[in-house]
Amino acid sequence: MDHGAVENDVRFQKSSRLSFEQTKLRRTILASYWTVVLLALPLWWYTTSIERLSLPVSRVNSQRDKELRFPLRVELDTSAVALDTAVLVKDVETALDAVTRRAPESFGNLDLHITVAQKDVLSPDAYGVSVIQGIEEPLIQGRSLSVPIQEVSHIPQLLSSLLSPYSSHTGFGGLEHLVAKYAPRYRLAFTVLNEDAAGGQAVVGWDVQSSISRHLSFFLDRISVLHNFTIESQLRFHAPLAFEPKIVGSDGEEVHGLTQDDLKIFVNSAEWTLSSSVSNDPVLHFILFIPSASHAPLRILDADDKPTSSDAFILPQWGGIVLMNLPQNAPSRIHLSTPELDHTFSLFRAQLLTLLGVPNLPAIVALTDPSSPLTDWQLDALHRRRTIENTISSKETLESIVQLVDEIPNMPVGPDVRDDIQDALTALDKVYASASSSPMLALQYSSQASTLASRAFFNPGMLALLYFPAEHKYAVYTPLFAPVAVPLLVTLFREWKKARAGADEDKDENTVGERSTRTDQKD
Amino acid sequence: MANSPRDSPSLRCWKEHYLVNLVAWMTMMNAPQHYTLFPLALGQILREHAVPELHLTLNAGKWDYERWGYPDETGVGSGAELWAWMGDGGSSSIKERWKGMQNALAGLFCASMNGMNSQLTTSPTRAFPPAGDLPLLPTPHTYRLLHATLAAEHVCTENLTPFLKLLPCPARAGIASLLMPHKIFDADWHGLGVHVRWRSGVGVELALAVQVVFDPVRVSVEQKRDWSLRSVFDRTVLHPCPVANSSRIRVKLPSDSGSAYSITPEPSEVHGDFATYDVSAVSDELDVALRWPEETAFLYTTATPSSALSDFSVQRALKGASQTHGQLSLVIRNNCPDEIRVLYLETMPWHVEFYLHTLRVERDGQPQDYLSSNLTYTPPIPHSHPALLQTVLTLPPLSTLRLSVDAHKSFLRYTEHPPDAQRGWNLPPAVFVSLSPTNSSVTSGREGKGWDGARRVYTSVMLVDLATPDFSMPYNVIIMSCTLIALIFGSVFNLLTRKFVVVKLPMHEERTHVVDR
Repeated sequence: MDHGAVENDVRFQKSSRLSFEQTKLRRTILASYWTVVLLALPLWWYTTSIERLSLPVSRVNSQRDKELRFPLRVELDTSAVALDTAVLVKDVETALDAVTRRAPESFGNLDLHITVAQKDVLSPDAYGVSVIQGIEEPLIQGRSLSVPIQEVSHIPQLLSSLLSPYSSHTGFGGLEHLVAKYAPRYRLAFTVLNEDAAGGQAVVGWDVQSSISRHLSFFLDRISVLHNFTIESQLRFHAPLAFEPKIVGSDGEEVHGLTQDDLKIFVNSAEWTLSSSVSNDPVLHFILFIPSASHAPLRILDADDKPTSSDAFILPQWGGIVLMNLPQNAPSRIHLSTPELDHTFSLFRAQLLTLLGVPNLPAIVALTDPSSPLTDWQLDALHRRRTIENTISSKETLESIVQLVDEIPNMPVGPDVRDDIQDALTALDKVYASASSSPMLALQYSSQASTLASRAFFNPGMLALLYFPAEHKYAVYTPLFAPVAVPLLVTLFREWKKARAGADEDKDENTVGERSTRTDQKD
Repeated sequence: MANSPRDSPSLRCWKEHYLVNLVAWMTMMNAPQHYTLFPLALGQILREHAVPELHLTLNAGKWDYERWGYPDETGVGSGAELWAWMGDGGSSSIKERWKGMQNALAGLFCASMNGMNSQLTTSPTRAFPPAGDLPLLPTPHTYRLLHATLAAEHVCTENLTPFLKLLPCPARAGIASLLMPHKIFDADWHGLGVHVRWRSGVGVELALAVQVVFDPVRVSVEQKRDWSLRSVFDRTVLHPCPVANSSRIRVKLPSDSGSAYSITPEPSEVHGDFATYDVSAVSDELDVALRWPEETAFLYTTATPSSALSDFSVQRALKGASQTHGQLSLVIRNNCPDEIRVLYLETMPWHVEFYLHTLRVERDGQPQDYLSSNLTYTPPIPHSHPALLQTVLTLPPLSTLRLSVDAHKSFLRYTEHPPDAQRGWNLPPAVFVSLSPTNSSVTSGREGKGWDGARRVYTSVMLVDLATPDFSMPYNVIIMSCTLIALIFGSVFNLLTRKFVVVKLPMHEERTHVVDR
């Protein structure tokens, strides 16, 4: 062994003395790697995370406790008859309280203030009730109601049915589920459906425009503050039924009957083209159905399969259908004139009012002006009803969005969704603020809130990442991160073990010292 | 509102093929919201998007002009073709309305018209003049033509069902009851057409047309060319449509005097070569039949017909095997003894780009570039607009013209490839419009203007094979680069953090080993 080799050996064996073999340097290198990794983590997190803006959750939740109140003022006027007004006011209030307790959901949103009329003129935003003599039945004109003296005991009942936004407690409870959901725009599609025009008689024309202007225009004008209407009409010459009507005998003749179950499946949407698809506005269908010769006469059956006198029915939230059995001796090609359509269109009108949720007048009430059959009382009640519905639906939608975003962590929430929700909340606040002053404004704000809330709910941007699952990401990341992470972790573990070993060595320093001395001597 | 629906199918025969052409048309006067016969579903689309003229054809198969002659309905290009004249200006832009109309029509006919984006839309006004009169517009606004073709569209039952629903008497009464999907889609060629035009004093007119080419010999067990409505359609006409103003079946009687034939039942009227049946006067089942009682089996003639059925014939091909370059080549043969001038229209998606300076017109091997004139070329805009090449070709009598132009095939972005990228890209058919006054043998029999404008000749569609990447490539790249990065990282990291010592082995003192500890 020559001298140089020995020196070399010494230097290599004492490798910890070399600058690049020092533990401290090695640990610094390792630490710097980990520093870079740790510093990069936030950047990685930022670039791969989904945009989830925070939603005004507390504002949405606070909506739950808010309740819409409509303050209403009713002025009682008994000056024409000898009655103690104060006593009457008290009686009416007690009776109305009882009604409110009985049906809180239909009457609960109203704050009624019954006062004694001070002057002859009625305040513009108040409802007037005057008790007078010389009339047979209650009369309505504008926002005032005249009650004959013998009907005084009916005043609480009349008031509750006229003012309540829902007509459920007036005995028409079954009609509530028919009302279509509120929309600022509706399309009304009037259709004549000939079941089989080739089979004999067929309606080939109808005076639909004049019938609409005669029977519906007035209503549509009055309701135009709530909804805009687009009207379209068509004739179809072939509209087969999807089922075979039941044949029943009635008064010696054979009639084809629609059972109550048949009515539910009456519309054969696969074969009937009923309306166009150019807009997304909800459509209310009104169908005049002409049964074919093989199915005539077609009647509606009651629960006991007996033909009823009714020839029309409503499909809930969808539209109305009127059956028209053509007379046997009619010509084969028929043009329906306006007078012939009077019955049909008065049925369509009733169906339309029911579908739009217009409350019925109490049966005993008469109108002073029969040509304008939609009273201010009904319109106001409809306003209140739609405002309440819109408010409830927008609240529910907003809560659903918050819940959905909370449940699905991968769902992005962009600024447009957040803005829509904030705007909807602002509109909702405005509804509460304006409910007392202007029911019209309240309705507009509530409609706005409902539109914005549903737009936020159906925002297509919220679906984006459902198609980019987490597994996909890991598949891309693993080939890079796994091979890089393994040496990093292993080295860290080894250094940690070595450091512990080093600490142990420090404890029994003597042994180590001896050993090293011995090595030195040997060299 | 005035409506005049008419059903008017005609059956024409050639040697062995029969063309059935059913047209129903109706008119709507100005009562835009109330429909009686005009289909509401279509009327509302036209109204919503303010379209005075619209033509939509859905065809399957290649129309063989050589054997079948000219079709009654001009639009026979394979796939879907949509063109519309629309007024420019107004509240919404013409592009938006075009897009909206495509979406609405796609929904109505269950076809993929919504795929006709700006990459396929052109405005070739010379080949597609309006078929009706367009309503007058206030001065700053003008009408524009938008035209698009989807050559890959397949026509099937789902298109026919909504099409039949537009008819006043769908599938149950009238002549439309003949349209049975099984038989129609078994035919040699079939096509649906929707044509809307506006005429002053008349209003909006709509024609719904079905054209089918049947081959009775193919379906006949005895190889005979006898046919009847029942054998062709598997249906007969049971009831007339009660709202039709007129409803007629016209049968073109065989003109070859080779063998005797019989036609049953007795036609209402025979006029020239055509036997006419008035369907509305028929009380019971109508089953028109044409028979050759003396013929045992039909023999196909092998000789080419002495007089060609078309004035000129066109063959178009894209040559070249490479994925970057190709050559578009057309062979146009004039079958007439007269000179013909035709307008040649080529719409090319941007991924096939022409080198216009290489355009050559040859006749009998001699370059004769003067035969092509009035050339206009709208160059393509990559990734957005197609190219449009229009030129007038003069075809000398009884001669063959060869036209060629070099083309460059683009390299597409990864995301621009369709799902079935290996299949290639469909190129729309080229269109030829005859500019010479044609002789009477080929003019359309209908009075006045045809339903779909000038008579056009469509070439077959082509497939172009573009360079297609391996679609698993991004993942391969990711895995590859990740592996490389991991390798480099590992070796550098190891070199930096490992500890190297020299261990002297007592046995071999001379040797040293580097061992890591």
